[in-house]
Amino acid sequence: MPGFIDRMLTLDRRWIFLFVLVSVATPIIYPIGLPVTTTGSTRAAFEYIEALKPGDVVWISFDYGPSSAPENDPMAEAIMRQCFTKKVRVLVSVFYPLGGLGLANSAVAKVTAEFPDLKYGEDYVNLGYKDGAAAVMHRLGDDISGPFPTDVNGRPIGEIPMMRGIHDIRQVKLVFTAATGIIGEWWITQVHSQFGTPIIIGPTAVSAPKYYAYLNAGQLLGMLGGMKGAAEYEKLLAGAHPELAKFYKTTRAFTATKGMDGQTVIHTVILAFIVLGNYAFFRARAAKKRGAA
Amino acid sequence: MNLEFGRVALVVLFGILPIIGIAMGLRAPSLRSRIPIFIGIFAGFIPIVALYVPKAFLSGETGMSSRLDLWLIILAAFALLLGIVNVVQNSSRKIGRREKGWPYAVVLLTGLAVTGSFGIYGAVTGHGIGFMPDGSSTPFKWVEDRFFQPLQSTIFSLLAFFMASASFRAFRARNAEASILLVAAGLVMMGRVPLLEFLAAPIPPLHAAAASASQFLGKLTEWIMDTPNGAAQSGIIIGAALGAASMAIRVILGIERGYLGLGKGE
Repeated sequence: MPGFIDRMLTLDRRWIFLFVLVSVATPIIYPIGLPVTTTGSTRAAFEYIEALKPGDVVWISFDYGPSSAPENDPMAEAIMRQCFTKKVRVLVSVFYPLGGLGLANSAVAKVTAEFPDLKYGEDYVNLGYKDGAAAVMHRLGDDISGPFPTDVNGRPIGEIPMMRGIHDIRQVKLVFTAATGIIGEWWITQVHSQFGTPIIIGPTAVSAPKYYAYLNAGQLLGMLGGMKGAAEYEKLLAGAHPELAKFYKTTRAFTATKGMDGQTVIHTVILAFIVLGNYAFFRARAAKKRGAA
Repeated sequence: MNLEFGRVALVVLFGILPIIGIAMGLRAPSLRSRIPIFIGIFAGFIPIVALYVPKAFLSGETGMSSRLDLWLIILAAFALLLGIVNVVQNSSRKIGRREKGWPYAVVLLTGLAVTGSFGIYGAVTGHGIGFMPDGSSTPFKWVEDRFFQPLQSTIFSLLAFFMASASFRAFRARNAEASILLVAAGLVMMGRVPLLEFLAAPIPPLHAAAASASQFLGKLTEWIMDTPNGAAQSGIIIGAALGAASMAIRVILGIERGYLGLGKGE
């Protein structure tokens, strides 16, 4: 066994890469169906949207790029599905410059196609991308048409039926930001702190730890932390709205629930690597001490 | 003509004053920094004062602070343009001098030109950069879906491979601090995923025990994230905010002048 571990420690790292590839890809191609347990911050987000009334407005902001799309796409899509099921109107915006608008357009097209009764301009509006996120958010407290004079198609905001009666961010019941980087924090500091609009955030797993401070301070209403948060949301959504369960049972489309299988396997692999590496480290240190003695 | 006080004041402060500043700078280089500092002071003070003074000319919908926000949005768009100019300049220089990796600069410039021209084409034809009226992708979206998105995802996904390799070779319990980090990381990694259920899957008698242990680990993970992590993050955020506030005060008061990009004696 010690000889085997010593050999493992000098293993060419390309073997490790191959092992990781197989470990991640296999559960995505052949889902295991591992259970997902829900956390308080995700349940709080879900219950708040469940309590909204038909006609209320939710602002969904796509503040991420393709690099974190497997984590952020499922959460943004799940929130949109929940809103449309509950006849809650949706405003879409994008503040992430590197590919955010393309992802938003694709997600909106995908989810709205699942609800054939929806009408653009009455049930949802895509405001498109705007640069200078912090200044735009601050300005939303005065009026939405200032920073967004037209929608993504160039149609003046004033001509869109849904926008009548939505003058500024105070008329929005909730902002959900699927965010990577600092944009999520700006929603808290520029919008919630100044205008009181509740915020739910869907950060990547790597940036989720910092948002616990905002959750504890009551400045965030809820959080969907990374792919795990998205998988929790999918579970809650499929449980509360059986008609939506079909979107999460298909074997072809990627879902966060499916992604969690891959994440579980890779966490197991990385933990095994850490244990193996530390075992060899302590063995080598003990041998060195014995040699010195 | 609309001669609101706020609008006139903004034109004076950010239109006429800079012109006077440029003229002064041309006549006497030592005066070059004066007007930019004044502009910095006003640009910093106006939004702060607007928070506390509920006067229409300051904090109203068309007040000075709101207009400054809109100007900032326009300026941010110009920053993107500056970024493009910078990329073109640097890449062209690299290609011209045949520096190491110059073929990558050719690929970069080609990508910029092709994607940019498709974007301009979308703007000129009115189709935008999303979908055509028949639901098919615009040329810009086609490039984005088939090149940009897969490439960015690929670069980011490489992290998984490097993290696995690094965890194997470098994540060691060398001292007390590293050991605490290692244990916390291990617990969070186990608690965030149904790892125990996965390991117990081939052994049915262990399923119930694995499920309850997994629940306990999940709660422990939430406690770690909520309490020690939340407290540390609060400290970091408050510290960073205080630092940013003090830097802002230095800029507003004209003490911090690094952003002016001036030489010695100016």
